Amino acid sequence: VVKMSAPTMEERKACWGARDEFWRCLDRHADDDSKCEKLRLSFESRCPQQWVKYFDKRRDFLKYKRKLETEGYHPPEAAGKS
Amino acid sequence: LRALALGQGDFRLLDQAGRWRRKADFRGQWVLLYFGFTHCPDICPEELGKLSRAVALLEREPGLPPVQPLFITVDPERDDAAALGRYLQDFHPRLLGLTGSPEEVRAAGSAYRVYASAGPKDEDGDYIVDHTVLIYLLGPDGLFLDYYGRSKTDAQIAQSVRRHMETYEPLLD
Repeated sequence: VVKMSAPTMEERKACWGARDEFWRCLDRHADDDSKCEKLRLSFESRCPQQWVKYFDKRRDFLKYKRKLETEGYHPPEAAGKS
Repeated sequence: LRALALGQGDFRLLDQAGRWRRKADFRGQWVLLYFGFTHCPDICPEELGKLSRAVALLEREPGLPPVQPLFITVDPERDDAAALGRYLQDFHPRLLGLTGSPEEVRAAGSAYRVYASAGPKDEDGDYIVDHTVLIYLLGPDGLFLDYYGRSKTDAQIAQSVRRHMETYEPLLD
């Protein structure tokens, strides 16, 4: 099994740039990712799959954080668990 | 801190040039230490950049002892000496990277209460290692004197290190 090399600094920067372009597009379109498909594909092609997942989670977390800061915390309804 | 005396014990790890390094080799030196891994998406390059800039700031001040920048991997399975060499060349020229067997690396990390946990592998065998994100300041006796989180800037780290150097007294006899 050949160990995959870690991305170089150049590759990292290309990935981050593609991510930032995609996120800026989402910001402009209120997170409607159907409006940002091309940039999404560019982001996925420039970043390792694991990093795409990681940055997607980061984006979700940042959105949630912003929501908490603006709307406050509403505990989710108990889903049958005691 | 005296009661905790974090950072005791020894380690024997390999640097990126393939030389064995023991913890004792760093006695007498100030060290800024970061635990990370080369497949890290963004946090490790940012923290290493910051660590490098902090060391550079301190180098510009006359009369201060040199600071040894040090990186220890939390992903010894992938981060061998060659991988460290490739990764660390983008940061401070004196930045030393250490790796070894999983047991040795884990022991080195636990001496500083470092948390590290590899996530699930994807179909390419790639994974992210969740880990404590801190830059540790070690004094010349090898013990942990301070730590710096994500929110600390390079200038704040350099200022704190300078202050520690000025007021330093050995923790252990």
